[in-house]
Amino acid sequence: MPRPGSWRDYNPGVLESLRARWVGYPAAVLLVLATIGILRFFPGLADSSVALLLLLSVFLAAWIWESGPGAAAAVLATLGFNFFFLPPVYTFTVEDPRNVVALVVFLLSGLLIGHLSALARRRLRLVEGEREDLAAMTRISQAFLSDTNRESLLGVAADRLRESLGARHVSILLADEQQKLSVAASTSDAEIRRDLADLAYRQGNSAAFPSELGGTDIYLPIPVGVRREGVLAARGVRSSEGLAEGCAVLLGLALERERFLRLARAAEETKTSDEMKSTLLAALAHDLKTPVTAARGAIENWAAEAGPSERSRLALSELESLTRRIGQLMEVVRLDSGVARPRREVVNCAEIVEAAVARFGDALAEHALFIDLPRTETRVEVDPSQLTEALGHGIENAGRYSPAGGQIRVSASADGSSAFLRVSDQGAGVPPSEREKVLERFVRLPSAAGVPGSGLGLAIARSLVELNGGKVRLAGSPEGGTLFEIELPLASRA
Amino acid sequence: MSRVLVVDDEAGIRKVVRDSFEREGHEVTTCVDGQEALERLEDEEFDLIVTDLSMPRTDGLELVREARRRSAVPILVLTVKHEEREKVRLLDAGADDYVTKPFSTAELLARARALLRRTGTPSDKPVLTRWADVEVNLEARSVVKKGQPVHLTPTEFSLLTVLLSKPGAVWTHRQLLATVWGTTAGVTNDTLRVHMGSLRRKLEDDPNRPRFIRTEPWVGYRFSP
Repeated sequence: MPRPGSWRDYNPGVLESLRARWVGYPAAVLLVLATIGILRFFPGLADSSVALLLLLSVFLAAWIWESGPGAAAAVLATLGFNFFFLPPVYTFTVEDPRNVVALVVFLLSGLLIGHLSALARRRLRLVEGEREDLAAMTRISQAFLSDTNRESLLGVAADRLRESLGARHVSILLADEQQKLSVAASTSDAEIRRDLADLAYRQGNSAAFPSELGGTDIYLPIPVGVRREGVLAARGVRSSEGLAEGCAVLLGLALERERFLRLARAAEETKTSDEMKSTLLAALAHDLKTPVTAARGAIENWAAEAGPSERSRLALSELESLTRRIGQLMEVVRLDSGVARPRREVVNCAEIVEAAVARFGDALAEHALFIDLPRTETRVEVDPSQLTEALGHGIENAGRYSPAGGQIRVSASADGSSAFLRVSDQGAGVPPSEREKVLERFVRLPSAAGVPGSGLGLAIARSLVELNGGKVRLAGSPEGGTLFEIELPLASRA
Repeated sequence: MSRVLVVDDEAGIRKVVRDSFEREGHEVTTCVDGQEALERLEDEEFDLIVTDLSMPRTDGLELVREARRRSAVPILVLTVKHEEREKVRLLDAGADDYVTKPFSTAELLARARALLRRTGTPSDKPVLTRWADVEVNLEARSVVKKGQPVHLTPTEFSLLTVLLSKPGAVWTHRQLLATVWGTTAGVTNDTLRVHMGSLRRKLEDDPNRPRFIRTEPWVGYRFSP
């Protein structure tokens, strides 16, 4: 990664403009010359005092403008000390040999003081810079974490980043699904270089160079894990590169956090609304079934006391069909409102057959029932209750539309990657052209007119099976009647 | 005559259930919710509790838990949904059986009758050793059907005696596995299904339509006398 260092040495502060490199040397020279000029007004001063005061000016020059100007000040001060103060004055010759030693010591002291002073100054500046960066990062992370809305998060982030980086302008560019960058937040209309932003986003390369606005322009990728979310572009930055990079990482984290919060909220909302529907439907089922139960019990008790009659039998059979319809309608509502989510587990198809026969077998009281189960376990991953009910509708249909005494065969088998649950009867069958249609709601064959039913059973069976990733179809059975077939994918693990 | 406690918040259901049990000659007490029922249970003894599942204040599940903590009285729950998980929860909490609304009073009374057989007998001994054409000799661990000896494996015999210890009551898969195998690890519902199937082939007239050893879909099994 190219990291031009020109802006690295910038340091914000009151003396900042004075500290720019190009002013360092002339300023240090001026400082030493001024000191010499002032000292010339006090001719009575001892040479040692003059030397100490000149060293002080070297120290100051090194503190403010650091090494180079500091060394220049030391050399100039030595020359000045010799020329103006050591006899013979106004010459560079030295009369007393002892003064030669003093002059050399003076030069070395000046250089050493200048060096140490510059070093201390640099250290202090580094520590201060780090402390300021840390404080800025803390402020920014607080601002980011207190916001959970994407729009306002981005707006606040751009402003805060501009402050903390001491920048003239900050833009946050985010990538859309087609990986195209667009400006998501901006502190002003200042132009940014799209080519550099694209480079930062695609290659992950950051760019930094001196800005015509003063300071530096930087383009940093916003990292999220191993991906990049977008680009942080800042112009006229006057803080350290480390701080800017830290800010980009923080911004990535804040965006990621906001995304997770949004997903969690959405999941929570769906869950709550589904739970509410589910509860309402349960209450509705309870409210519908309770009066029917009471009515049925009352008629039964009455019939038990008064002796059974045609009227009580009729009332009970009507209540029976009302009950069935309520059950089917409730099932349709549950399916349509999306609360009938399958709770899948791996089960043996033999168990589904056994459960469906146990629950719906009464519908086959007048038929000869045969059950064929596979010798090896045939496992599917489905909601057991929903599949039991789906197969149960097939069993009830077979019982209703095939003559008493006929054979009904319920079977489970596997073929290739599918499991099959089948019910076949010896009834009149369904003409091939109608087979797809009778799986739809409220569709009944004209031939079924004499048999009670609502035309919902097979449609419910189909919806339940499809919810579980399977298919329902009707075919002709080998025995000449209808074959009701559920096909399910076999569970992947044995 | 037995004393039956009927708990339901719907007046219509209370009336119907009360009439049905009184017609059978039982003495019936009714409560409107679990809270009231628990207060009744403090100072009265009952032979059977029939309770609704969803009620204000203390609901059916809580009532089952509380009542089971205090005594072994048979409990029959009236539910609305064919919700297997809820049934398993009820049975594991100590309920013996359930009927789903809208139920017929004949069905309700038949279930109650089966549970009432248990009254007064220790709960771990089979209370029933003879039905239809089958006879079980507990000491000899032998079974006779239609006068012919039937060979049962030790596992089949254990399963049968567990079912017979609470005629009418539903045993969840977990309860049966824990009682007969002593563990639920390594044995699956499928293992149970295979043993039950073989027990039916030996004892039922039509194993495809078992009359006595009944499957409760996705919940467990019961012996229905």
